Amino acid sequence: MLVLGIETTCDETAAAIVRRHEDGRGEIVANIILSQSAEHAAYGGVVPEIAARAHVEVLDLTIAEAMVKAGTSFEALDGVAAAAGPGLIGGIIVGLTMAKAIALVVEKPLVAVNHLEAHALTARLTDAVAFPYCLFLVSGGHTQIVAVLDVGRYVRLGTTLDDAIGEAFDKTAKLLGLGYPGGPEVEREAARGEATRFALPRPMLGRDEPDFSLSGLKTALRLEAEKIAPLSDQDVADLCAAFQRAVVDVVADRVLTGLRAFRRRFGAPTALVVAGGVAVNQAIRRALETVAGMADTSLVAPPAELCTDNGAMIAWAGAERIFRGMTDTLAASPRARWPLEETLAAEKAPA
Amino acid sequence: MRILAIDTALEACAAGIIEMPDRVLAQESVAMARGHAEALMPLLARVMDQAGTGFADLDRIAVTVGPGSFTGLRVGIAAARGIALAAGKPAVGVSTLAAFAGPYLVAGETRPVVAAVDARHDQVYFEVFGPGGRILVTPRLVAVRDAVRAASAAAVIVGSGAGILAAAWPDGKPLPAIATQGAPLIASIARLGAAADVAHALPKPLYLRRPDARPQDAARLPRR
Repeated sequence: MLVLGIETTCDETAAAIVRRHEDGRGEIVANIILSQSAEHAAYGGVVPEIAARAHVEVLDLTIAEAMVKAGTSFEALDGVAAAAGPGLIGGIIVGLTMAKAIALVVEKPLVAVNHLEAHALTARLTDAVAFPYCLFLVSGGHTQIVAVLDVGRYVRLGTTLDDAIGEAFDKTAKLLGLGYPGGPEVEREAARGEATRFALPRPMLGRDEPDFSLSGLKTALRLEAEKIAPLSDQDVADLCAAFQRAVVDVVADRVLTGLRAFRRRFGAPTALVVAGGVAVNQAIRRALETVAGMADTSLVAPPAELCTDNGAMIAWAGAERIFRGMTDTLAASPRARWPLEETLAAEKAPA
Repeated sequence: MRILAIDTALEACAAGIIEMPDRVLAQESVAMARGHAEALMPLLARVMDQAGTGFADLDRIAVTVGPGSFTGLRVGIAAARGIALAAGKPAVGVSTLAAFAGPYLVAGETRPVVAAVDARHDQVYFEVFGPGGRILVTPRLVAVRDAVRAASAAAVIVGSGAGILAAAWPDGKPLPAIATQGAPLIASIARLGAAADVAHALPKPLYLRRPDARPQDAARLPRR
């Protein structure tokens, strides 16, 4: 089965062709990603209207490039998938509409994919992970621990009560005058900093529910930084190191709590899977490896380019759904807000 | 030439298949302020069905590129470019202002034709056409009072912003004909699309207004 996947929910314009083999294995045939981050850098974050304008200028060219790279034709596709949310509505409208247009022309099924579900299922594309597994979804917009029981069957075990972890990294970078996106910048600075110089809190540590809270940490970091401003290069590196260490400690504790909650409710998971842009952070990955070992399971972390937003994960989620007969109509709605738990309900909704 | 015309830039969701010069095979227009993203593709499927035509039978796709609702015009453009890509047919962009003015120019109007689209905040998107479609004032975003002044010699003011100009018209000055329309006619879009040069009339948005965004560095702490 050959599926085209389109991703436009934030600031990457992406298109990919993925094959689902009969035995359920996935194969990426082409994966094109155009990042807009340079266009948003001056604003210290993604500007929705700028993102939408960029998507509509380049999406068809991105798809065409993916088709050429895959050496295939639209007629050879078995379906067209697009991220229909959650995310920035202006970009979603562009991606979903173009997917519908292609599906209409070539008379192939359309799948309006939940972007979070696509992140959740990526480990099945890369590592053929079987259900059920425990997902730690960590990005600029989301911080969730999810029991992935089947395609369309997700139980959220924990979430952030305020900021997402990626958002906290971005705000830290902005505060310290580092570039955008902030995550990689903070990680780079942290590598040459002294994490113990500042005593930062570990919010939620030891709580029974595997939830997160980042706003107190963010505020504590700001207060420490303000005390010693103006900041030297070493100050910035030390602040980044202290911040990242605190996040890592919180992640380790919260995810371990999440794995235990998973086991109580659903038995042993086949794996701890990490997904989302923050999953490329090496310190967080190392901590998750340790936590997986402590919980008698193993960590599955897709390669970095499949953790950040991409079209391959959308195509793969589309393939998983088409295989199960879960397709959408040409009237499918773009959705700015779309919790993962509502993916089955959406599929059952009338056209 | 068989042409598929699409318009979601303003207050309608509309599409039609026209065999040039003027045989309408099928068309449908639904008045709507929002919801184009859901409505357009099922509407397109119905229109294609009704016309009994396939995408392979089309010679080109014409789409309104604005000025209009930023989100709305991107729905039409994304659809047109998607169809063009998958069907291997050219897509051309048509200005909403030109599409509003088109019928008057075709009818041989000799005095200026003014097209205006509501841009809110006491502004309109505005263009003035002379005989034969010659452009007297290029498309731009202007204050309503400036548009009124520039429209004083017009024979007709057409478009979703025509009523706004009429309401601001000075007392004692003769008012041109006012043709308030929520969206341009599909036939007019098709005619302009058929005449357009594929190499130049690209299906790219004509926003006429910059995105509302300012650089943010207020949160940043001073560095040594």
